[in-house]
Amino acid sequence: MSLDQAFRLTSILLAGVSFIALFLESHLPGWLTFLTGVALILALVRVTELTGDPSPGARTELSTAVWNGLVILGFVGFWADSLMSGELLPAGVRFLLVLMVIKLFTLRCFRDYLHLHVMSVVVMLAAAAMGADFWYFPLFVVYLFVGVWTLLLLGITKQLKGPDPSAPVLASQQETRGLYGRVTPQVFRLANELALFVFGVTLLLFFALPRLQAGFYQNGQGAAIRTAGFSDAVDLGSIGPIKRDPRVVMRVEPPGRGPDGKGRLYLRGIAFDHYDGRSWVNQLSRRRAVRETGPGIFALNGSQGDRGRPERPSFQLKIFLEPLDTPVLFGAPFMEAVSGNLPAVQVDVSGSFYLPFPSVAPVEYVAVSKSTAVLPADLQPSPVVYHEAFLRYFTQVPARSDRIAALARTVVGQERTPYGQAMAIQDHLARNYRYSLEIPRAEQANPLEEFLFNRKTGYCEHYATAMVIMLRTLGVPARLVTGFLATEWNEYGNYYVVRQQDAHAWVEVHLAHSGWIVMDPTPPSEDIGDMTGSWQGWASMVDHIRLLWNRVVVQFSAADQLAIVQGVRISGATVGQKVWGSTSKWFTPPTSWRERIVDLYDRSSTGILAAGFIAILAGLCLLLWLGWKQSRYGRLFPKGSIQGDRRAVAKLYTDMILYLSRKGVQKPVNTGPLQFLDTIRTQWTGAFPLAATITELYCRERFGRARLKSDEYIIAQNTLDQLISLTRKQDGETEKTGAGNGI
Amino acid sequence: MMNPTETIRSIQNNIARVIKGKPAAVEMTVVCLLARGHLLLEDVPGVGKTTLAHSLARSLDCSFKRIQFTSDLLPSDIVGVSIFNRQKQAFEFMPGPIFANIVLADEINRTTPKTQSSLLEAMSEAQISVDNQTYPLGQPFMVIATQNPAEYHGTFPLPESQLDRFLMKLRLGYPMPEEEKKVLERTPSLHPAEELRPIVTAQDVLDLQAQADNIFMDESLTDYLLSIVQATRQSELLALGVSTRGALALNRATKALALARGRTYCLPDDIRELAPIVLSHRVMVAHAQGLRSRGFEQAECIIRDIVDSVPVPV
Repeated sequence: MSLDQAFRLTSILLAGVSFIALFLESHLPGWLTFLTGVALILALVRVTELTGDPSPGARTELSTAVWNGLVILGFVGFWADSLMSGELLPAGVRFLLVLMVIKLFTLRCFRDYLHLHVMSVVVMLAAAAMGADFWYFPLFVVYLFVGVWTLLLLGITKQLKGPDPSAPVLASQQETRGLYGRVTPQVFRLANELALFVFGVTLLLFFALPRLQAGFYQNGQGAAIRTAGFSDAVDLGSIGPIKRDPRVVMRVEPPGRGPDGKGRLYLRGIAFDHYDGRSWVNQLSRRRAVRETGPGIFALNGSQGDRGRPERPSFQLKIFLEPLDTPVLFGAPFMEAVSGNLPAVQVDVSGSFYLPFPSVAPVEYVAVSKSTAVLPADLQPSPVVYHEAFLRYFTQVPARSDRIAALARTVVGQERTPYGQAMAIQDHLARNYRYSLEIPRAEQANPLEEFLFNRKTGYCEHYATAMVIMLRTLGVPARLVTGFLATEWNEYGNYYVVRQQDAHAWVEVHLAHSGWIVMDPTPPSEDIGDMTGSWQGWASMVDHIRLLWNRVVVQFSAADQLAIVQGVRISGATVGQKVWGSTSKWFTPPTSWRERIVDLYDRSSTGILAAGFIAILAGLCLLLWLGWKQSRYGRLFPKGSIQGDRRAVAKLYTDMILYLSRKGVQKPVNTGPLQFLDTIRTQWTGAFPLAATITELYCRERFGRARLKSDEYIIAQNTLDQLISLTRKQDGETEKTGAGNGI
Repeated sequence: MMNPTETIRSIQNNIARVIKGKPAAVEMTVVCLLARGHLLLEDVPGVGKTTLAHSLARSLDCSFKRIQFTSDLLPSDIVGVSIFNRQKQAFEFMPGPIFANIVLADEINRTTPKTQSSLLEAMSEAQISVDNQTYPLGQPFMVIATQNPAEYHGTFPLPESQLDRFLMKLRLGYPMPEEEKKVLERTPSLHPAEELRPIVTAQDVLDLQAQADNIFMDESLTDYLLSIVQATRQSELLALGVSTRGALALNRATKALALARGRTYCLPDDIRELAPIVLSHRVMVAHAQGLRSRGFEQAECIIRDIVDSVPVPV
């Protein structure tokens, strides 16, 4: 393949890679994707078809004016687009793609290719700004490789042909270009080595520089997932529309091995106390800051009403929260502490945790919770006196709810204890009402009564609201809680995947002795699409990789850096330990060391994970490269057109001069090669034939513009070796004679 | 036509059958021809200058004229004259001896400057202007001038402008005794040059000249050549350095020498070898002392020193 053609090819590939990155990272309109794809394929076909001829006649050429008109049209479209959508970046990206398509159709002169390069860089940056998906990484690596290739070829073709390589070349020039304007093994190796080097440097930089909390790796503006149900006021029925959204909201890692994927995990968001017949309002939303009890640890000091209850064990959940439009920090009920790299944490009266403001970046934290259980005392009827204010908040019912109260009384029947009443209502709702997402947003005055008496179908919000209101009519304090119900277990990473569709609402009932307990009247829904078989497994694996990517790459921080260093040190220590252990088997085995290492390993497993990840990537790249080198290298490119010999033979010649000068045959700077050869003939006849061979090759190549064949180059090399061995031999002889004389 | 190098070698060998023991001078003569240059042979009388010119002319199958320059020679004796033709009732141009491929200007410094300068146009433009009429000369065209060293009786030294038009100035010198002996042992029946048979045609010579033009000179060598020329201009020993025409001459001569040596490219050695021959008659020594011929020798020495002071590209 000629260098020229290779340059064109890599330029278009560069644009292609950047386009794929953009395509995977953002949602492009279909027509634009199609158009760009077609333009890329056409350009590729054109480049691979025509060999070296830069002006194909077969192509139908539109006039420049038409293309310029299209550009102007695209620009107008860009403004209209940005005004209508209100988003500048996506509109700009679309406009950029339009420009790229036009450029791909009008690739004529050298400058056009430069424009294409610049565009591809911008598209790549845009792709980085639009998302931080895992796919960006391999594409970035590919982009890096292609980019290095393009730059190299750009430099070489420029050198070969002068300032404008696409200018028409004369037939004679064409011939010489054909002689050495090809992608030779040297060029190939050099390019790959350079690319590998750049990759290595990038990796090093990547390791050395922790991510800033904002930047191209982070999800940019507008990328935060819109949630429902986590603001201070929520209309009934607002969760419904998002129940079909499969986007991942968070990933939750339970302690230890986890519940083997069978359990249901409630992730509590906000509690609501006031229902006005149409929407829930959190009146107790006044937040206070949670004191930081340790570095990054925010803990409540002794929750209210804890006295007299037996201590239950607390448990921790490690949560990776995607950027949401709400500042709520989720956790299993009931959270007591949060730890993580968080600026500040707030808590409201009903025990919900918040960040000061919604995070634009993924958040990683550990939520410490303590579950509650129903105490035996609450199973017996006993009079309880609540504080008046407490009752005002948690037994509030909307006006004209007599019908509901009557229903509640019928349902509970003879039950006297609040717990028994709650169980009865829960059973009633779960048994007699049908779960469905096909509910139109309630337009009528009282959607709750519509659910209870007319439609009798609904989803979690309806169930929970009904139960709370029914309990409240009976005088039992209750509140509605929104959050997520995690059911999807990823067995590769041992964590729960929580999606937008897992949004859920349930009930918390207050019992006199036990405090708030969680109850859920919603029956398990039937219409959850079941992903089964290998597809499920594959999807879990991909999700796991994505989590790793977020964990190790996007969220790479100084702490992780430290962890990696520590991990490397520890693995070094392990290796050293193993070596030491094997050499000193006859000594007592140092068990304490081993324990310590195991301990350290546990503590820094993420560091080792990260180090391992990077090491595996680097190793893979190296393996790929080596494999490529072994299998394709020799066969792809014919030998005998070696490019780099011009300097190489000059180097051999200067080496020869150096060796000869050591033997006393000096080459003055003002003598030509032939004259020097004469000098050698007179001063050291033995070396003359060898020197003559090298000089001849050198002259031919250095001054004669001739390309040496590879075997000629090898001859020159061998001749120099002979010359060197000759000087050594002579050295030996002179030493011997010198020694003889001495004796 | 055979291999250019072999052709050139056979011309040299042909000449060498007459000019004994002077292979270098013979080679340079042929190189001068290949470079489309004119040759100035300077030496004491009787060392074979005229014979060399004669042998070269005889080796080529082309016209040869000899002009013996004397103090009373007129320009019209060289370029020709318009004579009134009574039958045609018109002036008719009678071409002079300059209308030939090889012109031997023997003892050129014996004639007056006026006559010398009549050669100027012919040498540089290969054409002659007489009575407002311009007559082109045949190709190849080469002037071989011989001269005795200055200060001999009845000489008019050539002006610098005219010297510059000669590509090379060669000196033959006395032959070695053995060679001289061979010359003496030759049968004196004929002029030795008359025995020679032509080796190549005029067209062959033109072809060879075209090939010499195509010899490749590396950029670094061009720089090397120019730095030598530059050095002559900056040298304190020289009152006048080498002109651009001189640099051009060295360039052409280098390519021709490379062709003669059987290469398709030039080497620094070629330039080093040619520089004294091509450049020394184009410079003026700053503090010339003694005889004028000594001045030429000095110039040659200075050029050699200058060439030695310029580093060769590696």
